[in-house]
Amino acid sequence: MSKVKLGITLYSYTKEYVSGEYTFEDCVRRCAKLGIDGYEIVATQMIPSYPYISDAFIGLVNECTAKYGARPVSYGANTDRGMRYDRDLTDDELVTTTIRDIRSAHRLGCKIMRAQYLLSPENLMRIEPYAREYDVKVGIEIHNPETPSTPVVQAYIKAIEETGSPYIGLIPDFGCFANKPNVDSYNGALSRGANKEMLDYAVSLKYDDVPMEQAMELLKGKNADDEVMASFYSMYGFLQFSRNPDLEGLKRIMPYCVHFHGKFHYMKDDGSEMSIPYDQILPIIDEAGFDGYIVSEFEGHEAGNAPEMIKKHIAMERRILGIVREQ
Amino acid sequence: MGLVMKLRFTDIIQENTLKNYYVDGKVCGFQFDVRLGYYRGHYLSVIDELDITVDGETFDKQEITFCLNGKEFGIAELKHQFSEFWTILAPATVMVRRAGGLTPGEHEIDFKLMLHSPYMPLPGANVPHAYTPIDSCEKKTVILMD
Repeated sequence: MSKVKLGITLYSYTKEYVSGEYTFEDCVRRCAKLGIDGYEIVATQMIPSYPYISDAFIGLVNECTAKYGARPVSYGANTDRGMRYDRDLTDDELVTTTIRDIRSAHRLGCKIMRAQYLLSPENLMRIEPYAREYDVKVGIEIHNPETPSTPVVQAYIKAIEETGSPYIGLIPDFGCFANKPNVDSYNGALSRGANKEMLDYAVSLKYDDVPMEQAMELLKGKNADDEVMASFYSMYGFLQFSRNPDLEGLKRIMPYCVHFHGKFHYMKDDGSEMSIPYDQILPIIDEAGFDGYIVSEFEGHEAGNAPEMIKKHIAMERRILGIVREQ
Repeated sequence: MGLVMKLRFTDIIQENTLKNYYVDGKVCGFQFDVRLGYYRGHYLSVIDELDITVDGETFDKQEITFCLNGKEFGIAELKHQFSEFWTILAPATVMVRRAGGLTPGEHEIDFKLMLHSPYMPLPGANVPHAYTPIDSCEKKTVILMD
């Protein structure tokens, strides 16, 4: 029996929440309806008194937990290094804001906190005593274009090992294992008038691992339009994909993983995800004996239909992991 | 040509909020509500540009007041608001000083609001402190409710 627990990040309901269709409570109720007992909350998105947790919000969260049986398990912090107009936050300031987030996570009862890579390995080491004190494991999100094997991630592993603490770790986002182009981005570019032939050429350059600078020159040489170029930048950045995703790297970093973001954009009718190989990713996590949460993170907001997509995503994960839904 | 984030899950200019405001019984300007066009909230200090044009008339920044969380800020003050957080659901009210306000009926508001995402360094940027811009602009025709 798998020890993996399935959760949902309420960020998945971004469109519904921001448009006013769902309240915070609606989001929690939706999770619970799918048999999910733990959710992640992105603090800058859904905490009305951010960066602090008000008593009123704690009251709402507790009321929802009592009513629906789903509680916050992970606090999504943003490492907003660029929040000042004149300069980046200093290390001291970044550490301070991160410690405040740890306290907030603790107040909400979250045992996991997501931080972002602008919190350097050295700063991650600095917050470890606070993470331990508040019993909140802080993980750096590994998000595209990083993968488990890139130098940035290696630097964090070195810091984690040096500390020898289970309170700092990594949170891979499955987007970094994409093996096909992002469907929303691709279709969006076409709908905004991108030349399809040129867009496919950009995709092929990425598939062939042509270095970014060289690929850019090739596209510009062919007078690629702005939409193709915008799409190209994302293909080499936040929406990177590769024919050979770094699954070996995932196996190596499993001892450091405290949580996972089950990123997805579109669930196909056959029950698989459009561009992320869940059937290869989940067994690695399961076989490593991971006993934390994988939270479903739907990011196909523009295309919409979050509730249905999330339902299919959870069903896919249960099928792959052999989890039978508890009634 | 660079990356600009544009996410729209709500209107920026809020319906049924355009109205004139009065000082001692005299119309001295107009106001309307705006929301942030993104997925999360932000400190006001990430606002890089805020401009208002109504029916082709652009207003001096000095005549614009940005009201949020029970406080009022001049445009020149926004960048210093490192601890004033604008949540993704909260409408802010912008007041524009204009003698006589606006006439009843339709007006075309061109609201320019550019921010930057403080956790997303601009890909490929070679200078420090360059972050990915967020476009929260909207041009919309609304009716003065007065």
